[in-house]
Amino acid sequence: MPNADTSASPIVSIVNVSKEYTLGETVVPALRDINLSVAPSEFISIAGPSGSGKTTLLNLIGCVDTATTGQVIIAGQDTRNLSERQLTELRLHTIGFIFQSFNLVPVLSVFENVEFPLLLQRKLGSAERKQRVMDLLTKVGLADRAKHRPSELSGGQRQRVAIARALVTRPKIVLADEPTANLDSKTGENIIDLMKEMNQIEKTTFIFSTHDAKVMAHANSIIRMADGKIVEDAKRSTKSRDQEIRA
Amino acid sequence: MLQLFLIALRNLAQHSKRTLLLGGAIAGVTALLVFLQCLSSGIHETMLESATTLSTGHINVAGFYKVTAGQSAPVVTQYRKLEEVVRRTLPDVEFIAPRGRGWGKLISDKGSLQAATGGIDIAQEPGFRRVVRVAQGNLDDLAQPNTILIFKEQAKKLEVNIGDVIVLSTQTARGTNNTIDLRVVAIAEDVGFMSMWNVYMPIESLRRLTQINDESTGALHLYIKDINQIPRDMDLLREAFIAAGYKVMDREAKAFWMKFESVNREDWTGQKLDLTTWEEEMSFLKWTVAAIDGLMYILIVVLLIIIAIGIMNSLWIAIRERTREIGTLRAIGMQRRRVLAMFVIEAFTLSVLATFVGALIGAALAGLLNAAQIPVPTGARMFLLAHTLKFTLDLHGIFNGMAVITGCTTLIAIIPSIHAARLKPVTAMQHIG
Ligand SMILES: Nc1ncnc2c1ncn2[C@@H]1O[C@H](COP(=O)(O)OP(=O)(O)OP(=O)(O)O)[C@@H](O)[C@H]1O
Ligand SMILES: [Mg+2]
Repeated sequence: MPNADTSASPIVSIVNVSKEYTLGETVVPALRDINLSVAPSEFISIAGPSGSGKTTLLNLIGCVDTATTGQVIIAGQDTRNLSERQLTELRLHTIGFIFQSFNLVPVLSVFENVEFPLLLQRKLGSAERKQRVMDLLTKVGLADRAKHRPSELSGGQRQRVAIARALVTRPKIVLADEPTANLDSKTGENIIDLMKEMNQIEKTTFIFSTHDAKVMAHANSIIRMADGKIVEDAKRSTKSRDQEIRA
Repeated sequence: MLQLFLIALRNLAQHSKRTLLLGGAIAGVTALLVFLQCLSSGIHETMLESATTLSTGHINVAGFYKVTAGQSAPVVTQYRKLEEVVRRTLPDVEFIAPRGRGWGKLISDKGSLQAATGGIDIAQEPGFRRVVRVAQGNLDDLAQPNTILIFKEQAKKLEVNIGDVIVLSTQTARGTNNTIDLRVVAIAEDVGFMSMWNVYMPIESLRRLTQINDESTGALHLYIKDINQIPRDMDLLREAFIAAGYKVMDREAKAFWMKFESVNREDWTGQKLDLTTWEEEMSFLKWTVAAIDGLMYILIVVLLIIIAIGIMNSLWIAIRERTREIGTLRAIGMQRRRVLAMFVIEAFTLSVLATFVGALIGAALAGLLNAAQIPVPTGARMFLLAHTLKFTLDLHGIFNGMAVITGCTTLIAIIPSIHAARLKPVTAMQHIG
C-alpha cells in the first residue's frame, strides 16, 4: 500500500447502508447492509457482476443519491444531515467525477471544460485558474488541444480531459463509474495508468468501478460486490493480483 | 456568471436551425408590433393635425347662446374677454384662433347638402394650408367676403365648379332664417369625415349671415405647446371661467353640432360656455384609433402565445437533449438556480437578439413606407383624415414592445428551466447512446 494512509481517519465511511429502489409495487434491493471504509489517497477498484450494485454504491459516495438506511460519511460530513444545496457544495469542493461517457460540455473548449468547476467555486482569479488548468492539461498530455472542442478529440483524449476536470478543484475523492467502458482496452489501461499517476502525484483518493480484469489489476485494492453485498474487501498483494490477471 | 452566457450563446449557435426558426418568429412578431405601432402613432398624429386644423383646437372655448329656451346658437359673445381669461390662466398658450360656427344647408342649382360652416380668417391660420390640399382654386381668395371653400365630394354632389355661386341657408342667432350667396373659390381634396360635413367661409361673412356682432364668434381654438397638459389646462380654464362669473356646461365627449338637441331641451337662456378638448370634439372618430390599437393588441397577443409555445417547446427539446449534460453539471457542483439561470439566459439572449433585429426591420419598413407616401384608399380616408399613410417612429413604444416580448418569452422559459433545474445529478450516470 504505497499510497494509502490507513492510519488517518477514513475519507469515506459507509455504515450499515442499504439502498432500495421502488419500481411501482416491487422493491428492488440494490445494496444490502454495506459497511466500507476508505482511507485518504487509496486507489480502489470496485468489481462485480452486472447489477451487483457498483453504480449504486458510487452514487451514494458521490452524494448524487441517498441511502435508504444507514450512514454515508464523506470527508467527515454525515450526508443525511445535508440539504440539497449543501450536498451540491460538498460535491463541488470535495468530489471529482469521471463518467463512463466522458460527459464534457460539448459547446465548451477543452480548456473551458476543465476550468468550469473552478468558475463554480469562485475561489481563484483568472490567472491562477489558467495556470491550474494548463498545468493539468500538460499532465494529461493535452496542453496543445486546449482550444479544441470535445467533438474534435478521440475517446481516450476526452476521458483525459474529464480526468483533468475531475482533478482541477483538488478534490479529496475522485469517483469513476466504469471510466474505461467506452474505450478500447489499450486506451483504457492508459487512462487507468494516468489516474494512478494522478493518485500518486496529487494524493487524491480514487474509487472506480470496472468489469475489465486488466483494468482492475492496476488497483491497489479491490472491493468485490455481488448481489448488493461486499463479498471481498481485499487489500491486494502481488500474489492476488497475479491471480486476478489469470482469472 | 459569464460562462453561462457563453454556453447559452454557443448552444444557440450550435442549433442554428432551431434558433433561426424561433428567433425569426420572435423577430417577425416584433417587427409587426413595431410596424403597427408606427402606423398607429402616425395615424394618431395625422388625425390630431388634421382635426386640430380643420375643426377644433387642442382645447376649445365655445358655447351656446340661447335667446329663448328652445333656440340655441353655437355662439360665444364678447370673445375678447374670454381670450383675456385664457391668456391669464394659461400663459403658455401658443395660439388662439377665433372660429365661426354654423350649421346650415348648401343649395346649388343641382343639389343640396347639410354642413357645418366654419368661419375662418385664412390670413391668421397658416397651419390650415398644411392640412387642406386645394385641388382647384386658391385658398387666399377665401380672404374675400362671400366666398366658400368646399371639398371635392361636396362639389360633386352640388355639381359646382370654381366661380359658381351657391346659397347657404341657416338660422340666425335669433332663430330666424337667413341666406347668403357664396362664390366657390377653392375645392379641396377630401379628408375623410371632416370633408363630408365641413365647409369654410370668411368669418366676417358668417357673422353677417348669422347676424352676430364683431364681438361674437363660434369658438376660440386654443393651441398649446404640450398636448399632454390638456387635462390640467382644462381644469384650470374651467376654474378660471367659473371664477370670472361664467356659466360652464358639463363636459361631454361630443362634437358641438351633436349637442344642439340636448341644449335646446334645457331650460335656460343667455350664454353658457362649453370647454372641450380636441378628442371630445373628435370623439366620433376616436374608435378609429381604438380599433387599430385593439386589432394590433389582439394580433400581438395571439402571436405572442404562439411564440411562447414555440419557446417552451424548443426549450423542452433542448433540455431533453441536454439531460446528461445538466446531470453532469449538477454532479460536479452546479447549484439548481444556476441551471435555471443557464436556460433562462438562453431564452433571454435569443429574444433580446431577435427583438432587436425585429425592431430594426419593423422600423425600417415603416420608414420605407413613409417615404413612399402610400396614398390612403378613399374608403380609409374617411377615418384617417389623411391623403397618405404616415408612420411615426415612436421610440418609447418600440422599446416597450421589445421589453414586453422579451419579458414574456423569458418568463415562459422559466417553466421548462425549472424542470431542468430539478433534474437529478444521477442522470449524468445514465448513458444512453
Ligand atoms: N434507478 C433505478 N431504479 C430501479 N432499480 C435500479 C435503479 N438503478 C439500479 N437499479 C437496480 O439496482 C441494482 C444495482 O444496480 P447497479 O446499477 O448499482 O448495478 P451495477 O453493479 O452498476 O451494474 P452494471 O455493472 O451493469 O453497471 C440492479 O438490480 C438494478 O436493476
Ligand atoms: Mg453500473
